[in-house]
Amino acid sequence: MGAAGFMKTFTMRAAAAAVLAAVAAGLGGCAVVKAADRGYLAEPIMERQDHFSKQTLAQKFFSSREGSIGGASGIGGGCGCAK
Amino acid sequence: MRVCEVTGGNRVGRRAAIVLLPAAVFAAVSPLVAGDGEMGFTNYYFTDSGANKVVTTSFNLARKLLEQTTLLLDIELDHVTVPPITAVTGASRPQRDKSQPFEKSRGQVILGMEQGIGQNLTVAASFYRSQEVDYISTSAVGTVSLDMFRKNTTLTLRGQYNADKVGKILESGDVYNQNKFVYTGAVDLTQVLSPTTVMDLAYDVVRLKGLLSDPYLQVGVIDDAGGSVLVDELHPGTRTRHAGTARLSQYIPGIRASLIGSYRYYWDTWYVKSHTAELKLNKYITKDLVFGVDYRYYTQTGSWFYQPAYAGTGYTESLYRTVDYKLTPFSSNNFGLSLSFMLRGLGAPGSDFEFLENSSIELTYFRYFNTLDFSADIVQFAVKFSI
Repeated sequence: MGAAGFMKTFTMRAAAAAVLAAVAAGLGGCAVVKAADRGYLAEPIMERQDHFSKQTLAQKFFSSREGSIGGASGIGGGCGCAK
Repeated sequence: MRVCEVTGGNRVGRRAAIVLLPAAVFAAVSPLVAGDGEMGFTNYYFTDSGANKVVTTSFNLARKLLEQTTLLLDIELDHVTVPPITAVTGASRPQRDKSQPFEKSRGQVILGMEQGIGQNLTVAASFYRSQEVDYISTSAVGTVSLDMFRKNTTLTLRGQYNADKVGKILESGDVYNQNKFVYTGAVDLTQVLSPTTVMDLAYDVVRLKGLLSDPYLQVGVIDDAGGSVLVDELHPGTRTRHAGTARLSQYIPGIRASLIGSYRYYWDTWYVKSHTAELKLNKYITKDLVFGVDYRYYTQTGSWFYQPAYAGTGYTESLYRTVDYKLTPFSSNNFGLSLSFMLRGLGAPGSDFEFLENSSIELTYFRYFNTLDFSADIVQFAVKFSI
């Protein structure tokens, strides 16, 4: 990788880190919702992830049929699907 | 390694085993998890316009061993059927016995441990292994999760290392293996915005090295003499993928429904870029019955080395070539419907069926189609117990 390529990569990573830091800092200023007021968020229809998300099988299908994967956590490897 | 041909009676036996074995494990383990834990049992059927079929059965368990220690176990079995080869380049399957359907089974086990440290920190480690006749994957995953601002914010970091063996079944029946290594880093941020709204932001980076092409796919190349020759696909030996996702989940108390929207942007060093947008509505029909409707749109560019046709002797030697449609530009649409029945009405506190209080049964149907004339139907049946 040349100097220009290194600088481009470094700049992109620094920008990403800055955005994350800004988001994290900004979140500290969000209104705090008390645990007792989070009943709606715990409803099953909000689909908060449990230990084994039902998204896994859908993600497995999409990752075997489309050229891009990632952006959502999951276990990879052999997919056992008819690629 | 030799290939086990699956024929006649034992084909039926294997299919039955795929469905029944996890069910037997499920039944056997049930009495052991009377306490804090979650169990799930899922069946998944897939068919597509290319006559490929996949049947998957999975069983998973999260069992609390100590106050802050949880054991995680996931077992998954697949049975895959790929039709006979009818085109020159064929499907992703061995050329051997190409007039017959190719069938194979796959097993997967994930074993992990999750440990809470204090009130706000959780660490987890998992070991993953999957095996099929022409693919073996071994993986280790580590996760650290930190709750902040009175648990209104959760930051999760994840690292994963995969060491895979990509096999090719030869005409002789032997399997020729090549290595693929995958390094994954991910950061996820969840933020409660209000009593009815929660936001998720995620970023993944994945570095791949080794055999990144499909060992079965072949490319037709027009050589300098004007003839056509078939050569194996050749992809670069490294690839770095990036993906960022934002998701907003909104509960709507007035109609007892949730609306979940997400957007994902992906880019990689093969110049594939993609956009994914998804919107889902879940609505209580009755106190315990939920109807869901889902739409997903996806579009991607092609890789820098994809061409509709390859001409020149260089492409029979060291120049990259592909017939993998996942590296071509296309768009897709996916429609989903789901029906979930919560069993909490059957599990009154203090009764023998109290374990049903947080349990559910779910039936899901997806219809997928893309601009390459490919379509698929997916049916998923899941039973989940939280006991």
